[in-house]
Amino acid sequence: MEMDRTDRFPQRVPSGVSGLDAVLRGGFLKAGIFIIEGSPGAGKTILANQICFYHAASGGRALYVTLLAESHSRMLLHIGQLRFFDESLIPSRIFFISAFRVLEEDGLRGLLDLLRREVQSHQASILVLDGLVSVQETAGSAREYKKFIHELQAQAALAGCTMFLLTGTPTPPVNVEHTMVDGVLQLQSELYGRRAERHLEVYKMRGTGYLRGQHSFRISDEGLVVYPRTEALLRLPSTHETPNGPPIETGLAKLDRMAGGGFPRNSTALLTGPPGIGKTTLGLHFLSRCDEECPGLHFGFYETPQAISAKANALGLPLSGLIEQEHVEILWQPTTEGILDEACHRLVDAVRRRRVRRLFIDGLEGFERLTTDRERLGHIFAAFSNELSALGVTTVYTSEADLIGSVSGLPVSQLPLQGVSCIAEIILVMRYVELRAQLHRVLAVLKVRDSIIDPAFHRFMMTGTGITIDEEASAAEQILAEAAQQNNFSSLGVKRTGRAGQN
Amino acid sequence: MATILVVEDEFGITEVLQSALADAGHHVVTAINGKQGLELLKESGTELVILDFMMPVLDGLGMLRAMRDNPEHRGIPAILMSSLPESAVTESASGMYAGFLRKPFQLREAVAMVNRVLNGGGSPIGEPMRSPRSGGSSAR
Repeated sequence: MEMDRTDRFPQRVPSGVSGLDAVLRGGFLKAGIFIIEGSPGAGKTILANQICFYHAASGGRALYVTLLAESHSRMLLHIGQLRFFDESLIPSRIFFISAFRVLEEDGLRGLLDLLRREVQSHQASILVLDGLVSVQETAGSAREYKKFIHELQAQAALAGCTMFLLTGTPTPPVNVEHTMVDGVLQLQSELYGRRAERHLEVYKMRGTGYLRGQHSFRISDEGLVVYPRTEALLRLPSTHETPNGPPIETGLAKLDRMAGGGFPRNSTALLTGPPGIGKTTLGLHFLSRCDEECPGLHFGFYETPQAISAKANALGLPLSGLIEQEHVEILWQPTTEGILDEACHRLVDAVRRRRVRRLFIDGLEGFERLTTDRERLGHIFAAFSNELSALGVTTVYTSEADLIGSVSGLPVSQLPLQGVSCIAEIILVMRYVELRAQLHRVLAVLKVRDSIIDPAFHRFMMTGTGITIDEEASAAEQILAEAAQQNNFSSLGVKRTGRAGQN
Repeated sequence: MATILVVEDEFGITEVLQSALADAGHHVVTAINGKQGLELLKESGTELVILDFMMPVLDGLGMLRAMRDNPEHRGIPAILMSSLPESAVTESASGMYAGFLRKPFQLREAVAMVNRVLNGGGSPIGEPMRSPRSGGSSAR
C-alpha cells in the first residue's frame, strides 16, 4: 500500500500574522506546545489573540485561559481596537476563561484537569495559557513544573490542540521549560539612541526549519506585522525563469551609446553624484521608457510622489501620463521612524505585485538611515540584486557623493556603500567641475558588465527637456583640463604665499 | 440585607464585588464557575445571583439554564456580567436575566443595579422581559 506523503509530515497551524508564517516556514506545528515570551508590553497578548482570531475565522476554535494576567474586559477593550478583532467569534469560536482561582485552590493538578476538560468541551484546536509564571510560582519544585509541561504536551498531542504558553522574559540560563516545548518565540524591544525597535526571535522550533535571527516587527492597527530579515528571506532567488533579451534603453540615447548599447537586462546600476546634479532626473528618464509590457517603480526616500510628478512635468518627461496609465508607480518611504526590513519588504512586494521591470531607487542613503546595523546592508543589497535580477528587473540605485563628486581614478573607493558598488554591474559617475566661477556638469560610465564602454567624461546640461549629454567628449576634456590648470595655479599661489609667510 | 451569590472565574472582580456589596449591607457568597454556583444555590438561600458569561466547567448560560429548569431556583433574579456587549449574549440568554453589566463597569453602577433588582426592578428568571438595550449596562 502506498503511503500518503502528507501523512508523514506534521500539519501546520498558520499564525495568520503577516511575515511570521514566512519566518516559521508555514506556521506552527499542529498539536505542538510553544512558549511566547517577552517583557510586559512586548506584544505577547496581542500576538496570541491575533493567532486565536485568525484560527477562529478560518473555522477553528480557540480557548484563551488567563492566570494572574490582564483582566478579560481590559484585554478585550484593547484588542477590540485592532482590525483582526471580530466580536462575533466570541464565545462561539473563541472562549475566554480565567483559571487562576483553580490554580490557587487545586494546584497544578487542578489546572491540568481544568485545561483538559475545557479543551475537550469547547473542541478547542488552539489553547493559550496567559501567565505561565504563575504556574512556575505554584510548582513546588523544578521537577513538578517539568511534569506539568510534560503532561500539557501529552494533552496537546492527544487532543490535537496547538498550545501557546505566554510568559515574561526568562533569566539565563535557559529555563527548564525551554528544553521540553516544541518552540520558543521571544518578543523584544531595543533602544537605538532614543528610538525603540521591536524584534521577534525564534529560539527553537522542533521538526522544522525557520528563519534564524532577529526579525523586526511593528504593532499597528492590524496587530503584529513581522518583517523577516530581508537577507534571510531572499537568501535564494524566488525564481529561475529570468527573462533575457538585448540591453534596455536608459532613456538617454547618448548614455546608451556610452554604455555600449544600453544597460544589460536584469542588471544593477549604481549612479553616484553630489546633491542637485541630476541623479533623480536621470532616473526619471529611465522610467519614462516604461510601458504596459515594462512597468516601472520609483522607490524614493526623500521626495513625495507629488514632487516627483512636478519635477517630471517641469522637464517635459511623460511621467504623469505613465502614472495615470499605471505603467509607473511612485512609492515614497520616509526615513522617520522607519524600519529597514519594512522598507525592503515594501519594495520587493511592489516589484512582485506589478511585475516591475524598471526599478529606480533614490537613494541608497535612505537604507543607511533606517538601519541599526550597517554590516547588514551589504548582505541585503546582494540579496536584492539576486532576487531583482531573477525577477527580470533592471535596477538603478542612486548614491550621494560629496559636493564636487567622485574623483576620476578613485571613484569606487569613495562610494559610501561598498556592498552596492561590489554588486553593481554598471557604475555611472556624475560630478561638478568648478571653472571660472561656474559649475559644469560631467558624467562618465565607469563600468558596464560584458560591454565595451566609452569611458570618457561627457559634459551634460539640464534643459527644459531633461538631461542633454554632449555627443563629443571634447567640451568635457577642455573643462577638466582648464580646471586642472586653474587648480595647479591656485595651489602654486598657496605655496608661494606660504613661503612668503615663512620669510 | 440580602444574600447574593457572585459566580465569577476572574480573580479580582469577585473580591471587589464581594467587599462592595458587603459594605452595602449584603451577605455575599462566591463561586468560581457555574457548577459550583449551582451547588451553593442549594444551601445558601440566595436572593440574587450575579454571574459571569464566560467561565470554565459550566458557563453563565449553562448556569442560567439550569436555574430556569429548576422550579426552586427559577424565581431567583440574576444579573449577567460580560466583557462582550449585551447584544452578543441576548440571543442565547434572552429572558433569563434581570440585568446586564458590561465589563469593565463602575462599582456604584453594580451596587445600584443590585438594589434595583432586589427591589423588584427586574424580572425573575423565566418571566418575559422587554427587549434588551444595546450596549452598556441595563436592568429590566
